Amino acid sequence: MMWKEKYKIGVPLIDNQHEELFKRVSEFIQTVRGEGNWQAKLDKVKENMAFMQEYVVVHFNAEEAYQKKINYPDLENHQKIHAKFKADVNRYVQRLEQEGYSEELVQEFGGKLMAWLIMHVAAMDQKIGEYVEGQGGEK
Amino acid sequence: MKAEYVNSFYQATNDVLALMLDITTERGMPRLLEDMVSSKDASVILGIIGDVKGTVLFSFPKDMTLEMVKIMSGMEMDEIDSFVSSAIGEVANIIGGNAITMLSANNYHCDIATPQVIVGEYKSLSLGNEKALLLPLKTPIGEFSIALFLKEK
Repeated sequence: MMWKEKYKIGVPLIDNQHEELFKRVSEFIQTVRGEGNWQAKLDKVKENMAFMQEYVVVHFNAEEAYQKKINYPDLENHQKIHAKFKADVNRYVQRLEQEGYSEELVQEFGGKLMAWLIMHVAAMDQKIGEYVEGQGGEK
Repeated sequence: MKAEYVNSFYQATNDVLALMLDITTERGMPRLLEDMVSSKDASVILGIIGDVKGTVLFSFPKDMTLEMVKIMSGMEMDEIDSFVSSAIGEVANIIGGNAITMLSANNYHCDIATPQVIVGEYKSLSLGNEKALLLPLKTPIGEFSIALFLKEK
């Protein structure tokens, strides 16, 4: 997954976190897609997944706090979308724990996560940047 | 089939593919499907419920499917495995979500069910007497289609 300059919204706190999130999800996907026996790389898969999962929460919380600070008009809807995504992730985590970390299920999770993250950063979060811009830029 | 349905799905597809993949989508001439639609490589089925109901079927050729996921991931993909099918399922889901937002602006309130991805050959019958509409789409990474089987409640 490539981080692109055009994803930046002009708010350094959020831009840095998005870039970090892309990095962590990329590492997770690269491990999942990488060469090697599934059982042998499973520890690394789990480690990357936990690392990425933790950061999703850190980022969502920071982004929501920032939206509150700037009185972002779409805050409520944005929170709902974050909550739905966290619920989706938790559902996968639960299934992975119950059904065992099968390669197939982890791959499925990785594909969805990648597409979701790109869309969220490339579209949804751009609106935060537009709002900030409309209010006279970052203060 | 109303023009709003087709336009919403076209517009949403165009927007989402531009944002996520940096590609343009050109729409072809929509045509009525006689009674069956079939797809060879990868299909995503979205169930629509609400003021408008039915299904929307995206059919992607294999090469395009792999290229879409390559653009997103930056990695070579050589088969439609569960990573690839889940990623395109999510792309179609996002397109469906955007289309539904546009439909609600026209006062049609709907929801979409979890997308179902089918890899390999898929054939589907049209709904009852309603004819389905097939919208062919052209992109720099391949041609695909969206079949709409929708009717008003």
